[in-house]
Amino acid sequence: MPMYQVKPICGGDIKIDLPTCMYKVPNIHAQQGKSCTPEHALQNGELDPAVKALEARQDEIMRKLYELKAAVEGLAKTVMTPDADLDLTVSSSLSSQSSTTFKSTTDLDTVLGKDLGALRDIVINANPVQPPLTLLVLHSLLCQRYRVLSTVHVHSSVASVPPQLLSCLGPRHADSYARHMFQLGFTLIWKDVPKPQMKFSIKNMCPIEGEANIARFLFKLLAPYPIDPAVATLVDSWVDTAFFQLAEGSVKERSAVLRALNSTLGSNPWLSGPEFSLADIACYCCVLQSGSASSSPANVQRWIKSCENLGHFSHAKLLLK
Amino acid sequence: MSWNSLNKHWEELSFPSFTAGATEEEQQAQSKKALKKQQKEAEKAAKKAEKQAKMASEQQSAEEDDFAKDRYGVSAMVQSQQKLDRELVRVQDLTPEKADQLIWLRARVHTSRAKGKQCFLVLRQQQFNVQALVAVGDRASKQMVKFAANITKESIVDVEAIVRKVEQKIESCSQQDVELHVERIFVISQAEPRLPLQLEDAVRPDGEGEEEGRATVNQDTRLDNRVIDLRTTTSQAVFRLQSGVCQLFRDTLTKKGFVEIQTPKIISAASEGGANVFTVSYFKTSAFLAQSPQLYKQMCICADFDKVFCVGPVFRAEDSNTHRHLTEFVGLDIEMAFNYHYHEVIDSITDTMVQIFKGLRDNFQTEIQTVNKQFPSEPFKFLEPTLRLEYTEAVAMLREAGVEMGDEDDLSTPNEKLLGRLVKEKYDTDFYVLDKYPLAVRPFYTMPDPSNPKYSNSYDMFMRGEEILSGAQRVHDAQLLTERAIHHQIDLEKIKAYIDSFRYGAPPHGGGGIGLERVCMLYLGLHNVRQTSMFPRDPKRLTP
Repeated sequence: MPMYQVKPICGGDIKIDLPTCMYKVPNIHAQQGKSCTPEHALQNGELDPAVKALEARQDEIMRKLYELKAAVEGLAKTVMTPDADLDLTVSSSLSSQSSTTFKSTTDLDTVLGKDLGALRDIVINANPVQPPLTLLVLHSLLCQRYRVLSTVHVHSSVASVPPQLLSCLGPRHADSYARHMFQLGFTLIWKDVPKPQMKFSIKNMCPIEGEANIARFLFKLLAPYPIDPAVATLVDSWVDTAFFQLAEGSVKERSAVLRALNSTLGSNPWLSGPEFSLADIACYCCVLQSGSASSSPANVQRWIKSCENLGHFSHAKLLLK
Repeated sequence: MSWNSLNKHWEELSFPSFTAGATEEEQQAQSKKALKKQQKEAEKAAKKAEKQAKMASEQQSAEEDDFAKDRYGVSAMVQSQQKLDRELVRVQDLTPEKADQLIWLRARVHTSRAKGKQCFLVLRQQQFNVQALVAVGDRASKQMVKFAANITKESIVDVEAIVRKVEQKIESCSQQDVELHVERIFVISQAEPRLPLQLEDAVRPDGEGEEEGRATVNQDTRLDNRVIDLRTTTSQAVFRLQSGVCQLFRDTLTKKGFVEIQTPKIISAASEGGANVFTVSYFKTSAFLAQSPQLYKQMCICADFDKVFCVGPVFRAEDSNTHRHLTEFVGLDIEMAFNYHYHEVIDSITDTMVQIFKGLRDNFQTEIQTVNKQFPSEPFKFLEPTLRLEYTEAVAMLREAGVEMGDEDDLSTPNEKLLGRLVKEKYDTDFYVLDKYPLAVRPFYTMPDPSNPKYSNSYDMFMRGEEILSGAQRVHDAQLLTERAIHHQIDLEKIKAYIDSFRYGAPPHGGGGIGLERVCMLYLGLHNVRQTSMFPRDPKRLTP
């Protein structure tokens, strides 16, 4: 039912002069948010919502930082322990349930690139005049870790190869008829090349030349490089010393290196400290190759013994005889 | 005489003024010198007179008779009138050790070049040649030189000559250290003066002719005049090498205990499917020319021959005019029973191929070099034992290179070539085996893979990125063979005889066949299979 309208009885805005002797109270009828002024809040001891929001944001950032820190710690753990899974998403819950083969495949993926559903074949060309002992040692280490299909070929640029070089990668695998059953291919080709050469992916990778560089690459398939740059550099420099001064250097250089080895091994069990590393493999092979094993100083002799006790070098040693 | 006296006079004139302040000794020396000079002049004059006299007499003899008349000529056609015990020396045996010997030789006139009183001939025997010289002297007359200069190229001659060492190597001949001084020359068979093609043109390397504006011979001209083309050093080398391939193939397999068999070439039914066969009339019915000896090889295996091979013609009625297809070629086929795994067959075949490659590398280096001179190519590289890749690996390599293809797609020809390049780059080999082909792209008699029904126990072999052999483990069980044939919708009636041969116990076996011409072509890095087929047959050529 429509009702009739009446005019307001009093005027819209009536100004009232309030006496200054009384304190003011906020208008309880008016909406709270509107009338809420900073002075009042402070007076009442209440928190400013802007500060609250700021505080919430800070909390959020801190929480994220903690999460990040945890993630990085997890990551560091996986990197430092070679057998751990590299998968970031499961790093917090750690991969205790995943099988060893799975772990190795992901490792291979990080170094060799995406799995294309076929054998990943590493091809190494080497000259039979100078068998790359280091690579043979790394091959036997790889065999302990992965299912490796090892094959030896003779290139037509080489007339003939002594029989021990043809069997240097050990006996033929029983399953070698099915290449797809292997995780990694290790194809050694005896060829007339000035220095060892490694080829993996023709499209995405240039050939790697030199025994030292190939050794570094292959070692990454076994264990990541030390995270401490100082240790990593130390390993690298020992590898270079081994190939440039022990294997190719003069008599003088060689004896200098042996002295250096002796002093280092006096304070450490292994060349790069407490852990066995690529530095030991390279130096051991080069000492052996240069024929200075028997005439080396005491600490070096002791270290040679402990290297041999590891059992990785038996194949390489056979080749030198 | 007048000249001499004049000279004397001059000396007398100058003498006094010169000796004015000289001692007696000097005078004596001077007079000695003068005497010598005088003598020389006298000799000179005498020689000149002799020369003139000789020329006059020669002119006379030319008009009248020729003292070397019976030292040259066109001999009567050899009809075996007499059996001479004359020993003929081979051109390749003409070495400095034979210097100063008088020898007989039969060869072709490769080139001849007359120059005044002498004529240079290049005599050729197969890929070897030697320089011969006919010069006017006490053994040869002017007419003889003229006769030698006029012998047409490619004629066959008998030559008696003295072997002489030369100071400077003769770069243009294969026998560089000696030349022949001809004493007698007889033409045994004369060539027509106009040759359809010049041998020098036919061996000129590709491209070089165009640069210098010289003639080259195109493929059809060569094939039309195959007899002359085959005389070139390049052709000689190619077919010697081809013979070597056959020989090494036979030797290697015989050593491995294989038996050589002969199979019929006229057959009643088409062996593979029925397409691409030549039909020939056979009395009141028709028959076919064998596309492959496979059926017969397999029957021999079922007949307990264990390991067999055969070398023989194979016919394909494919109307494809490419660089690598012929309608008739020589097939080198292998079939063998194995014990447990068909890789035993692959190992046997690849080892045979490697032995062939090694034999060629070690024993045919001169032939390879000769062919390389005209058709340069990189030396053939291979691995021992041969590289074996699986089909999935090949697909992965191609995909990595950007090729889009399904797992079970067959390799197209460009992909084959690309794969060849990728494999060459990674493994540095021109010969490899690709194993485990998808079952779908292989013939019905191919044994399926036991672990994955999508694949099969079959393989192809490649040389320089081109397929040379296609083989497989064959189904040796009549039951399974029938199933596979039905799956491929093949009329069972037509292949009844084939299936029946497996009903009475058959050993597991496998094999493959290669084309001789293709292997030679790819080994030498040539670009046309017609170059390695002596008388090629293709859809457009039935002659010669």
